[in-house]
Amino acid sequence: MSDASSSRYSYFPGCSLTSSAGEYDASFRLVAKELGIGLDEIPDWNCCGASPAPHHWGGNLGVLLPARNLHIAGYGHEAMVAPCAGCYNRHKNAQHELSGSEEIREQATRVLREPVRYEIEILNLVELFDREVTPEALAKRAQGRLAGLNFATYYGCLLTRPAKIMNFDNARNPVSMKPLLMATGANADHFPFKSECCGSYMGLAHKEIVLRASRRIIDVADGLGFDAIVTACPLCHQNLDLRQGQINKAFGTNIEMPILYFSQVLGLALGLNADDLGIDSHIVSARKLLAKIEQGAAERTARAADASGRGGASQAVCAAGEA
Amino acid sequence: MAIRVSSTVPGGADVVADIERRSGERVSACYQCGRCTSTCTGAFAFDYPPHRIMRMLQLGQVDEVLNSRTAQICYDCMTCSTRCPMNIDVANVIEHAKMIADERGIEGDEKEIRLFRLAFLKNVRRHGRLHEARLLTWINFRSFRPFNDLSLVPLILRRKKIHIVPPRIKNRQEVHRIFREINGGDK
Ligand code: SF4
Ligand code: SF4
Repeated sequence: MSDASSSRYSYFPGCSLTSSAGEYDASFRLVAKELGIGLDEIPDWNCCGASPAPHHWGGNLGVLLPARNLHIAGYGHEAMVAPCAGCYNRHKNAQHELSGSEEIREQATRVLREPVRYEIEILNLVELFDREVTPEALAKRAQGRLAGLNFATYYGCLLTRPAKIMNFDNARNPVSMKPLLMATGANADHFPFKSECCGSYMGLAHKEIVLRASRRIIDVADGLGFDAIVTACPLCHQNLDLRQGQINKAFGTNIEMPILYFSQVLGLALGLNADDLGIDSHIVSARKLLAKIEQGAAERTARAADASGRGGASQAVCAAGEA
Repeated sequence: MAIRVSSTVPGGADVVADIERRSGERVSACYQCGRCTSTCTGAFAFDYPPHRIMRMLQLGQVDEVLNSRTAQICYDCMTCSTRCPMNIDVANVIEHAKMIADERGIEGDEKEIRLFRLAFLKNVRRHGRLHEARLLTWINFRSFRPFNDLSLVPLILRRKKIHIVPPRIKNRQEVHRIFREINGGDK
């Protein structure tokens, strides 16, 4: 684990994490702090352009917007972390284009008025934690806190695709969240819909696409008895959580599937406060899941007490029986 | 049922060659297995499913492809690309068709999604970051479907999920320069 003061990482929050996905930002910062991972927010960062920039303005807008962030981040840091899967994807794509074309580099240099720096390593949040904390170290600190829970790991599209540019995990059967989730004491059984699309940003123009696509995901997770779906993408979160009521209404279902961010689950495993992690800011309540965690903790304490004072405990039971 | 006999338009082959060159994908390698279509979550809303788009390109029917609802709606989730046995990045092919349609000023019928994408970028041009509240109100107003997602508004507000005050970056000039560098900044 790294030293908290070293701040080797440049942090790109992106637009979602500073508004609708505030709990993703909060939980990420808290867990990073707890694990001693130093973060410096990129000063004066701008929007990466998201899905519309690369193909709907013409030219290289989708490269030049992220290029400005890479340029600022590259000053004095060895890597940049972008927890939003969309921002991560856009910056990696932009870096790929920059490294492949002298012409684009010149264009970026023209607007930045300095030779563009674009070579900083770009990490997503799963990758960062995977690098900074071993499952053994996490298991030691988590002490089985999340035992009894079973998480559906959901990766969606943007963390791994296109595979030749993202170069992260496996685009068809990603597994990178699993080791750390297992280290919390929980299970992360195979979730067959882990790399299906949730309907992306179609919620406004073609809501029916999102409702159908997201329904399949929560429906399968529910049918397989998972306690929650774990994601690392604010857009997936929005479709699966915010629209879960619309999905239930549209399909006459009654699913109540909590959707948690990967950082929130790690935070719970580390014993951080659920309110601080923003668990309650979701639309679908995770109260049942929190109750399970508490119940597990109570049972462990009871077992520990039982083991340390077996005689005393059995006497108490006898006394209770007599009364 | 009407049979659409469509043009193998003059110049069609050029456009396909252009898509192949710019995307680096081999459209000709597609053998119509249909796996791309079977994984696509949006195909039910398209006019042509992805494997048909591939076939139409092979036949040089570029007008149909460039004007298709598929080219406008496809949201580049790339699920199709991960399933193609010929290793064709199908999404990348469709994205390039989309770009060429855009360059040719083809607007198509999918006004709302077009509006959303442009509104998003204009919002970013203005503030340097996305102002979600303003984007949503603007879109609802412009598409003449006020409060499309009315039921979500109280949820969003109660959970403090949105900012009313626009976020603004300091060096907006630099962001404006980026937009100006492309198309003179206008669209
Ligand atoms: S990228 Fe487009 S065509 Fe391919 S699966 Fe996604 S929506 Fe369908
Ligand atoms: S999966 Fe590939 S080979 Fe099969 S129809 Fe689609 S593009 Fe063609």
